[in-house]
Amino acid sequence: MAEKNTPLLAVLQLLRKYNLKGTEDILRKEASLGDVEFENLDLPEVELASILTSHHTESDPYSYEFAYDNLKKFIENSLDVYKHELSTLLYPVFVHMYLALILYDHNEHAANFLEKFGVEQEDYYQDDLKRLSIVKHKDQIKGNELAEIYSTNKFVVQLSRDASSQLKRFLQEQKSSTVIINIINNHIQVEVHDGPGRTQAQVRSTTGGLLGEATKNENRTKVYYGLLKEPDIQVLPAPVEDEEEAEETPDKPKKKKAKKENIFMKKPKSDPNAPPNDRIPLPELKETDKIEKGKAIREASKRIQLGPESLPSICFYTLLNSGHTAICTDICDGSTLLAVGFSNSCIKVWTLTPVKLRGMKSAEKLLDIDREAGDVLVRMMEERDRDTCRSLYGHSGPVYKVAFDPFKTMLLSASEDSTVRLWSLQCWTCLVVYRGHVWPVWDVRWSPHGHYFVTSGHDRTARLWATDHHQPLRIFSGHLSDVDCVQFHPNSNYVATGSSDRTVRLWDCLTGTQVRIMTGHKSTIFTLAFSVCGRWLASGGNGELIVWDISTGTPGAILPPLHTAPIHALAFSRDGTILSSGSLDCSIKLWDFNAITEEANGEEVSSTNNAVQKEDKYLLRSFATKNSPIKGLHFTRRNLLLAVGSYEGSS
Amino acid sequence: MGDSEFAYGSSMSVDSMKTIAESIGIANLGDDAAKELADDVTYRLKLIVQDSMKFMHHSKRQKLSITDIDNALKIKNIECQYGFIQPDSLPFRFASGGGRELHFVEEKEVDLSDILSAPPPKIPLDVSVRAHWLSVDGVQPTVPENPPPLSKEAQKLESVDPISKLSKPTNKDAAGKPMCGKAARLKASESVHVKQLATHELSVEQQLYYKEITEACVGSDEGRRAEALQSLACDPGLHEMLPRMCTFISEGVKVNVVQNNLALLIYLMRMVKALLDNQSLYLEKYLHELIPSVSTCIVSRQLCLRPEMDNHWALRDFAARLMAQICKTFNTSTNNLQTRVTRLFAKALQCPSQTNNETGVGPSMVTSMKESEKTPLASLYGAVQGLAELGPEVIKVFILPRVRWLGERVEGALSGLGGADRLAAGNLKHQLLKVLAPVVRQLRQPPDLPEEYKRDYGYLGPSLQQAVGKIRSSPSGGGGGGAVAVVTCTPPLVPAAPSPSHSHISHGAKTVETIATRSVVISAAPAPQSPAPSTPPPQKFVIVSQQKAPQVVSTQPASGGHIVVHSSQPAIVRSQNVQSVVVTSGPAGGAAGGAAGGPQKVVVVGVQPPHHLAPAAAPAQPSALTAAHVSQAPVSVVAKPVFARGGAAPPPPELDDLSHLA
Repeated sequence: MAEKNTPLLAVLQLLRKYNLKGTEDILRKEASLGDVEFENLDLPEVELASILTSHHTESDPYSYEFAYDNLKKFIENSLDVYKHELSTLLYPVFVHMYLALILYDHNEHAANFLEKFGVEQEDYYQDDLKRLSIVKHKDQIKGNELAEIYSTNKFVVQLSRDASSQLKRFLQEQKSSTVIINIINNHIQVEVHDGPGRTQAQVRSTTGGLLGEATKNENRTKVYYGLLKEPDIQVLPAPVEDEEEAEETPDKPKKKKAKKENIFMKKPKSDPNAPPNDRIPLPELKETDKIEKGKAIREASKRIQLGPESLPSICFYTLLNSGHTAICTDICDGSTLLAVGFSNSCIKVWTLTPVKLRGMKSAEKLLDIDREAGDVLVRMMEERDRDTCRSLYGHSGPVYKVAFDPFKTMLLSASEDSTVRLWSLQCWTCLVVYRGHVWPVWDVRWSPHGHYFVTSGHDRTARLWATDHHQPLRIFSGHLSDVDCVQFHPNSNYVATGSSDRTVRLWDCLTGTQVRIMTGHKSTIFTLAFSVCGRWLASGGNGELIVWDISTGTPGAILPPLHTAPIHALAFSRDGTILSSGSLDCSIKLWDFNAITEEANGEEVSSTNNAVQKEDKYLLRSFATKNSPIKGLHFTRRNLLLAVGSYEGSS
Repeated sequence: MGDSEFAYGSSMSVDSMKTIAESIGIANLGDDAAKELADDVTYRLKLIVQDSMKFMHHSKRQKLSITDIDNALKIKNIECQYGFIQPDSLPFRFASGGGRELHFVEEKEVDLSDILSAPPPKIPLDVSVRAHWLSVDGVQPTVPENPPPLSKEAQKLESVDPISKLSKPTNKDAAGKPMCGKAARLKASESVHVKQLATHELSVEQQLYYKEITEACVGSDEGRRAEALQSLACDPGLHEMLPRMCTFISEGVKVNVVQNNLALLIYLMRMVKALLDNQSLYLEKYLHELIPSVSTCIVSRQLCLRPEMDNHWALRDFAARLMAQICKTFNTSTNNLQTRVTRLFAKALQCPSQTNNETGVGPSMVTSMKESEKTPLASLYGAVQGLAELGPEVIKVFILPRVRWLGERVEGALSGLGGADRLAAGNLKHQLLKVLAPVVRQLRQPPDLPEEYKRDYGYLGPSLQQAVGKIRSSPSGGGGGGAVAVVTCTPPLVPAAPSPSHSHISHGAKTVETIATRSVVISAAPAPQSPAPSTPPPQKFVIVSQQKAPQVVSTQPASGGHIVVHSSQPAIVRSQNVQSVVVTSGPAGGAAGGAAGGPQKVVVVGVQPPHHLAPAAAPAQPSALTAAHVSQAPVSVVAKPVFARGGAAPPPPELDDLSHLA
């Protein structure tokens, strides 16, 4: 009974909304509606709109199928120039027809509709369709994540001017069915762009987002992707071995070194794309940090130049007896420490060098130390050598990410218990617990300059923190689903996030706004990595690997999907020539990044169809491991690739 | 993703709802209510599973686990399900009855006292980190930590379809060397398709490895041999060396069969076994070399110098087991391997007068045949053993019909004079009984009458009847198919010492004793206990001390190694038929060591008159000794390796293999 009255109630609600008392009374009398129903008028806004706009087709579920068929025919018969762009309309129309059918209780028809046309949708939407298909009843729409996203947001479709006028003409001709017009008006945002219609490959390269493509307008803001000017660091007197080298051939090496350092200093100066150094307040370098930086620069001068002809050596660290318990790994910038987060809430830190892990002296003993002494940093540590491995306990859920700070004194960890913890690697205790995320935290990353860090989680937000604040400085919200990974830009001014809604977004730390939204991924994004130069962003999903151009927000290169399982690790070599990717399919692949960027610079997304050729061009090498999924990759300062994986037995 | 069938998932059935309702005491749930419930439960379950997928992904796994579900429940503010910890997936059982169908998880009742009294489970090992090189300058080293460079499937594909290798132009596999520089550019510019040559180069490391392994496998040090065999059986990166290994084995067998060198044959068979056991190798391409070698070791007329003493039976057994393993692994409908092998053995069992036999002509015909025409008993034994390993069906078809004839052969030999023959006949009889008894037991019904057996199986009848009776009476013997051999854990086969007792496998002290006596033979001239009167065509002395003299005689290339051995050696032996003598007396070789200060070497090559010595090879005194020796008796100690080390107080001069003869 009540169901039949729904449209009447909706009309009543509308009348009341516009305060048309007289009509309302007459209607009530005529329809003989009781007071009870009248009092409970609280139809949701969306439903109300749908009911009012299309309630005359509601009685005829067959019209949906017919209308969809017509639309399909129109698109198939249109010129090739428009066909591929127009075909992006099919999916949102299909989804909203399905939801409408459900909404009007034509459950049987909805199921048939899904069965009939579901297969025809693009392969990358099939997962979404599976998730949507569990909605089989009106009551389930409310509360279902995906259905709510679809009904409250507009799906973005990009059409060329000609294609959109074609569409308009078609819609005007189809006067009989208003179903499609209603859907397009209410749920689809048609972005008209100037220029010719795009090819299938071009369309495919940017579609795939949960809500269609990114609009061009959203990516207009300028992004300062250049690197910051590095503060001058007095390079400390080189250690003994260097001295010896220098003595052997007194002049030449020194000159070389000086030159190389100059390269490091000069490069950012001339970069017009670099943000001003004080755009984001960066922390002053401490004495210890300076020592660490000096070390880094010295190490970097010994770096091996990599390229297609000289591939890096890979040292693989296998976690034995870990089974499925080891989740995440990180290796500190100096490549001396390895941290692993486990599903049993514990974190372990191993030393990768003969230097054992030491703790700090107790408070009483620290009092005795002369603080002015030159070697105070050494003195405050315990003399006794400790173990090669130390454990950190404190979380109460699986640890999804661990991260060393750039100066190797602290460690951050993100966990399922929705907290982020900061650990000291000197006291080996927890220093701070950052609470802010509501649900599990998936990822945490340090700013390359320390002090700041960014987290992301199941609550669809990414948050920017400073170590000395217990609350986030910025909350980046806008993703439609879990934010699965984050990454800091090398100049600390931007944060990139990757999400289950299959978009990659770039956020400005200064303003907290979204400056880039990049669509093209067809699956959840699990890991991100910025190139050394700061212009490119690599993102890895379920086998896919895309390199984005930050300056424009377009995919620079879509690498052939050679990984057969989710990619969970990406690393650029320190000279930026090689991109390495590690996946759960137990393989590490090395890509020629120079070739990739050359291609992207030369021409906009070229034909993706000759995948074999691309594979030859980009892929340098693939290394399989023995049943050990790759969980972490790291290039040392000398360009040796370190990989971490856990052996999962011979079965 | 793009599968044709568009299954949007399963759902809970109405029946399940009713059953569940019943289990909690709601007797009759209405159809409508059950339907409503089923739909709702399906929806909620799917939501939970979808969410738990996220946890699975973030735990960097590809398999959903129970903890993922727990975590998904947690973010929905639902209490998780405690106590469902299961390492593997639970099998759903199906039951039907009374017009209803059910799927359920079986829950066994657990006796708490069992758990309480059981010893506590072992503490799991702690996580540890281990580093290895996955790649060195872009090339993946073939260490056990890395996966095999060419998977077994790829090797298989290559052996079936060799073109597949060439059709893949750029091999981006980790194993190969990166194609760089000129080669790459050439390739890019080339318009004509040039057939790629498959490279068969071995790196220096691989050559070294090959040398070490082959030396260790046929060398004298049992410990090293064990390690080498272990490496052959486990190391992943051997496929490039396989052709050479197989040639080594087949050539080695050829040479050592001619020389009746039992020990080396055993070592070579153990190499075959190790290669067969290696999970990462696909041997089909090399069976043409391996099968003749193995079958030689099964049916050869003579495998050792003293058939009446040495335990060559063990070698035949072992090789037969290997053959069965090969057949089982590589038999396909196209290569008909097992058929061919069976035919080979069956031919050996073919009695020359079988046709006569079957037409009823008496045994006198057979026995009256010339001895030389007969298949030797040892070969018969091998053939029987080879067939027996292939299973009871083969025994039934190929051995059982010939048992009468075999019995006659055995009878003839047992009554004959030759000690060796008698021993062989005894072994053959024992083996036949062992093999046939379980099969006969299956074939015949219980009343086992000796007369019937005698009538059906001839000479062996009564013994067979006894054996069958024994099996029938013993409860454990009912396993059936007694011919199914235990293929695992063969004891290290060591040829028996020339002790007067019958042949059996012996270890340690005995072998040491052998060597001791041998060394006496060589070094002390006045004790001429020539062990073997049977003289094989080529005669040799090879006695090399374990202390390698750095200045080796010029005729012996320092790096000669085994490669030369298996290729060049047989040629020399067969064509020239000269005696080559290499004698090096160790420090303990008392008589020979007139100059006890250091090892001395005497090398005699191509001795026509035995007194002719290699010039300036050694001082006069030992040379005279050896010369006397060579002339004295053809003591065949060729390539008799030493089986034990350091057992005897004075370390005997070690007898090494042929490698030093190059």
